[in-house]
Amino acid sequence: MSGSAFDFRDVVYAYRSQRALDGVSFSIGLGERVALLGANGSGKSTLLRMMDALVFAVGGTALALGGPLTEAAFAEEATNFAFRQRVGLVFQNPDVQLFNPTVLDELAFGPLQLGWDTARVRRAIDAMLDRFGITHLRDRSPHRLSGGEKKRVAIASVLITEPDVLLLDEPTAALDPESRADLVAFLSHGLREGQTVITAIHDLDIIDHISDRSIVLDRGKVAADAPTLDVLHDIDLLRRTHLVFEHRHSHGIAAAALHGHLHAAPDGGATT
Amino acid sequence: MEDPAYGVCTCRGKKRRGLLESLIFGLIGADTHSLEAETTSALPGLLQGVDPRLKLVSLLALIVAAVSTQRLTVLAALFLLAVGLAVVSQIRLARLVRQVWIGVFLFSGVIVLPALVLVPGETIAHLPLFGWPITLQGLRSASFVIGRAETAATLSLLLVLTTPWPHVLKALRSLGMPAAVVAILGMTHRYIFVLMQSALQMAEARQSRLMAPLDGPARRRLMLTMIGMLLSRTLTLGTEVHAAMIARGYRGEVRLLDEFRTRPSDWAFLLATLAVAATILGGRL
Ligand SMILES: Nc1ncnc2c1ncn2[C@@H]1O[C@H](COP(=O)(O)OP(=O)(O)OP(=O)(O)O)[C@@H](O)[C@H]1O
Ligand SMILES: [Mg+2]
Repeated sequence: MSGSAFDFRDVVYAYRSQRALDGVSFSIGLGERVALLGANGSGKSTLLRMMDALVFAVGGTALALGGPLTEAAFAEEATNFAFRQRVGLVFQNPDVQLFNPTVLDELAFGPLQLGWDTARVRRAIDAMLDRFGITHLRDRSPHRLSGGEKKRVAIASVLITEPDVLLLDEPTAALDPESRADLVAFLSHGLREGQTVITAIHDLDIIDHISDRSIVLDRGKVAADAPTLDVLHDIDLLRRTHLVFEHRHSHGIAAAALHGHLHAAPDGGATT
Repeated sequence: MEDPAYGVCTCRGKKRRGLLESLIFGLIGADTHSLEAETTSALPGLLQGVDPRLKLVSLLALIVAAVSTQRLTVLAALFLLAVGLAVVSQIRLARLVRQVWIGVFLFSGVIVLPALVLVPGETIAHLPLFGWPITLQGLRSASFVIGRAETAATLSLLLVLTTPWPHVLKALRSLGMPAAVVAILGMTHRYIFVLMQSALQMAEARQSRLMAPLDGPARRRLMLTMIGMLLSRTLTLGTEVHAAMIARGYRGEVRLLDEFRTRPSDWAFLLATLAVAATILGGRL
């Protein structure tokens, strides 16, 4: 671990009166793989958007890659440009992320904005299409794809620039089991050595593959920050933060996903 | 079979569309249109092959010529030229009729109708029913207005149908249109999609939850709330899309994979259209 990717101290963020982040503190080193857990509305997406300098803290201090995450700093063209080259965010909703006329243009968008030459862009596109099994979608219009196809294109369109820091907001949502397994395999050993990966996710059964550490959010506060395996074994914590619920009828397979008598709440928000 | 309260009734007979239904119909139309435009711009036609920048200038020159010509024969010739360009670009005429000609004719027709009888001159016929005299001069000025509108609209549609939208934007940009204006045009295009998708999803959601047809006032209330929702959703999504663009390094400049390449045939096309336009403008034809 060398240097730090993010340093947050008592960070507060509010949408008008609604407090989405309420005194969040943590630091994440370069090269760490962190899962961001929490029930619906706990603030995961907001935190990721802040880490990607799309929204800025209204209280506390936030640093990314050593520099301040403030509106003033990012008004500086050079700072903004350097940051965008190193940090990439896959949005929770692929519909907002896909705005180009074809999948090809979608993949080309990021690299071109960052000033890559076209030969390099084309090589990278071919590699990405191949890696994500979406070569056949190349000339399709992204907003006319299926939910899972959209998601794959959205992920590919961010990964293509090989950001040092990768922020993923529920990357496995809408994927069928096979695509999900592919993605998990890719996130667990397909990434570049030293790439920092922060993933907001509800699938408790895969987080130990894609993270070593988990930060659990609960109503805008950090409820836990510990090695992923410890978090997975802390049933009280998981129950308290609505990450699991006691099942009322038996689903053998789903229950096996976790700890026998408990199973993962697919959307994190289910109640007992 | 469609839900009657939804107003989408494919059956003959009573066919009343509410405001929201019309809106949704319009949006579906726009969606089909954009899908078709994506398809037509990929066809191997003449205009599709021309460098978008030169194409933009060429078509603009023809539009200016059409708007300023003083002769009906010249206007007719320009209109035929536009039709010819459509044909060699594999744009079906039925589509031009449907998308431009009928609409423009009705719209400008309403505006120029009074001119038929109000412009003084030689009487050539009488308006049926009213018996008002139609003058030759009146007919001439009405024909000019309609002819110009039809020709200009056809030429503009040719640009849009034969050029992918981002290429139109990039061409505008490289011809000196300010980045801010181009960005707004780009966003507008995207907003339309976002709005359309929301509208369709809401209509579907509503349809799937509707148990029985609603009565008039309830329907109107529902429609008003839906329109309000739609607008606020569009705004939120639009902001989100913008954030997603920023996140990937967008700084107000349109960058495309395909650099525009200008071949000798593109210049030939430009020269030919400019020659036509210059003859009309310079010769005061
Ligand atoms: N644009 C917005 N305007 C107002 N409030 C918002 C907005 N976006 C999120 N919020 C609120 O902020 C809080 C945190 O939302 P956030 O999207 O960060 O949650 P999340 O953990 O990503 O949830 P999910 O698992 O459902 O994606 C929620 O209470 C939500 O209602
Ligand atoms: Mg979220």
